[in-house]
Amino acid sequence: MTWKPTKKLFALAMAVGLLAAACGDDDDTTTDTTEATEQTTEDTAAEFEAGTTMADIAEAGTITVGVKYDQPGFGLQNPTTSEVEGFDVEIARLIVEAIGEDVEIEFVESVSRNREPFLQDGTVDLVIATYTINDARKQVIDFAGPYFVAEQDIMVRADDETIESVDDLNGKNVCTVTGSTSATNVAASAPQASVTLLDTYSQCAEAMTDGRVEAVTTDNTILAGLVQASDGEYKLIEAPFSEEPYGIGLPKGDDDFRNFINDRLEEIFESGEWAEAFESTLGAIGLDTPEPPEVDRYTETPPAPTTTAAP
Amino acid sequence: MPLVELERVNKSFGSLQALRDVDLVIEAGEVVVVIGPSGSGKSTLCRTINRLEPIDSGRILFEGMPIPAEGRELARLRSDIGMVFQSFNLFAHKSILDNITLGPIKARKLPKAQARREAMELLERVGIADKADRYPTELSGGQQQRAAIARALAMEPKLMLFDEPTSALDPEMIKEVLDVMRELAAEGTTMLVVSHEMGFARSAANRVVFMDAGEILESAPPDQFFDAPSTDRARNFLSKILVH
Amino acid sequence: MDVVLDNLDVFTRGMRTTVWLTGLSFALALVVGTLVAVFRVSPVPPLRWVGTLYVETVRNTPLTVLFVLFFFGLTKVGILYSAFTTAVIVLGGYTGAFVGEMLRSGINTVSRGQAEAARALGLTFPQVLRIVVLPQALRTVVAPLGGLAIALIKNSSIASVVAVKELSYLTGQLGNDTARYVPVLLGAAAAYLVLTVPLGIAIEALNRKVAIRR
Repeated sequence: MTWKPTKKLFALAMAVGLLAAACGDDDDTTTDTTEATEQTTEDTAAEFEAGTTMADIAEAGTITVGVKYDQPGFGLQNPTTSEVEGFDVEIARLIVEAIGEDVEIEFVESVSRNREPFLQDGTVDLVIATYTINDARKQVIDFAGPYFVAEQDIMVRADDETIESVDDLNGKNVCTVTGSTSATNVAASAPQASVTLLDTYSQCAEAMTDGRVEAVTTDNTILAGLVQASDGEYKLIEAPFSEEPYGIGLPKGDDDFRNFINDRLEEIFESGEWAEAFESTLGAIGLDTPEPPEVDRYTETPPAPTTTAAP
Repeated sequence: MPLVELERVNKSFGSLQALRDVDLVIEAGEVVVVIGPSGSGKSTLCRTINRLEPIDSGRILFEGMPIPAEGRELARLRSDIGMVFQSFNLFAHKSILDNITLGPIKARKLPKAQARREAMELLERVGIADKADRYPTELSGGQQQRAAIARALAMEPKLMLFDEPTSALDPEMIKEVLDVMRELAAEGTTMLVVSHEMGFARSAANRVVFMDAGEILESAPPDQFFDAPSTDRARNFLSKILVH
Repeated sequence: MDVVLDNLDVFTRGMRTTVWLTGLSFALALVVGTLVAVFRVSPVPPLRWVGTLYVETVRNTPLTVLFVLFFFGLTKVGILYSAFTTAVIVLGGYTGAFVGEMLRSGINTVSRGQAEAARALGLTFPQVLRIVVLPQALRTVVAPLGGLAIALIKNSSIASVVAVKELSYLTGQLGNDTARYVPVLLGAAAAYLVLTVPLGIAIEALNRKVAIRR
């Protein structure tokens, strides 16, 4: 979360570039970019049309990407090397190498609460941080992807037989973390559930052990790690009730960049590089490699959902 | 039985011995004035009698009973002994009337109405009934000290202790306080007065006690003491007082 | 700012909980603080030690740590309170240490003669404290206590770490749901001002009213 003066300049340059792109281009922007990316696949020292974000990044030779530092399997800082490791980090590498092989990636820790602000103020160029695509977020930023679809599931004590689906959470206490979509989803699916938000999933697990809550709910990828670590104390009910498409967040309105990333995602889905990245990260903590998801090239920002905080 | 008896009382503050083998007897109805140079231990003597100052050795009897250690017994004994301080010590957050009724209501468990009635009578007696609803700092020093005397009297004490009651007063206010004290003396109140007011000692005291360096050197009726002191130190002290 | 106006009910719900949380915690803090101050000025050495130990322990521990400790710790010894109760206990106990120190310094500003006069009248030690010393000490610390109450309103936001549904918890959640953290947090800041500014004015008025005429 460091803010360097050079980054400010870079953000300014990007803004100017965006402005130039917006003024200069018409409807045929998309086709131009597609051609540009097609070139990329042939030779990685790509030629991008001047004024695009890709060209700016290739020129600058550096890109800033926000990732989680505390999410096993996705983005976790290795305490011995200080390097951040995980599926999100690998995806970032695969995308950036298509801009230029010598482009350096600077990873910045993004927690749930600062993802949108970081993109809006230019602190980061991209956010790849278990970032669920939803309409509220699309109001202020854009998403490429999804590059992975998690499912929201429920974890209970191993001896609990009363909770078999999300409906059974009505009238029960359920825990999830602040700054995630899990709370909104569970409130929508089980309106009578009492939702407790704590800072970390391990606190939620502790609250369940203490009897403060009967269940913990979030993405199955995260719960799987908790179940594995619990030594048989917890179990997954394996009745997912919502899909969590993880997207790549980028500043709103940069359609060239978004298309470029989407193209690149499809490319790595095809080539097997995506699956390789999955196996070396999430696969290592016991998850089976799924089919890659379908990229969503939405063209219009959906209306803002009328939402209030879950009680 | 004397009202108060001190037997071989010793008290030190660190290396300073404030009281040295003090023996003193006060009979009921007696007015005893203690004089002596500053630092002679006379204030300490006064404060040991209601145990605001605990003693190191010796014995103090009140109505023949030793003064108890800190606690309810001591509180009860203190309520029988009125005390007037040099700096008045009226309760700053309470009106004059509330200052006077506090002790009767809280320690003597008197009904409020009765306490107020008695307090007003006392204020009348000390001449400041019109100040009943004022706060201490709104009164002059002399008025405050008269209120403090009324506060002590409200407990209907068997003994009144006066610890330099006029030392903090401007000269023109000393008389109004001494007049109240003379009146009390004339009514037969038992009083121990630590004071520099020689005129008061001569006219109101039954007995003058002279202290120096923690010891009682003389104890005699005022005429005898002032006209023919028996010790050099008393003579020396009196000569200084009379010069200044 | 639409996101704030459209969700005003979230703000009012949060403010209501914050007010209750602060009010109950402060009431507890006054009780704890008075006990602590009495212990600290007591003539009995062991009581003074207990008072000092309490103040030093509580003042030197981060509030967040106390929250998590009480929320997760007490259950380990078989005590399970609601998050709200936990928050009242932690905030009240924490603030109580500060109240105690303020009262103690207030007691020290009350002249010795006041207590002596009260003792000479025959009041017992608890009566001396309750009737004569503490009321005067309290008057001298109205302004600092008021400052503490305002700090407590802000500190109450830390209760969000144990999921008490107060202002910062609910607004944090709203920020997440709407992906508009900045306007929502600005709204939250404004909501805290709505609580703290009138309190500050009320304390100033109270301070003028109870000041002892000197």
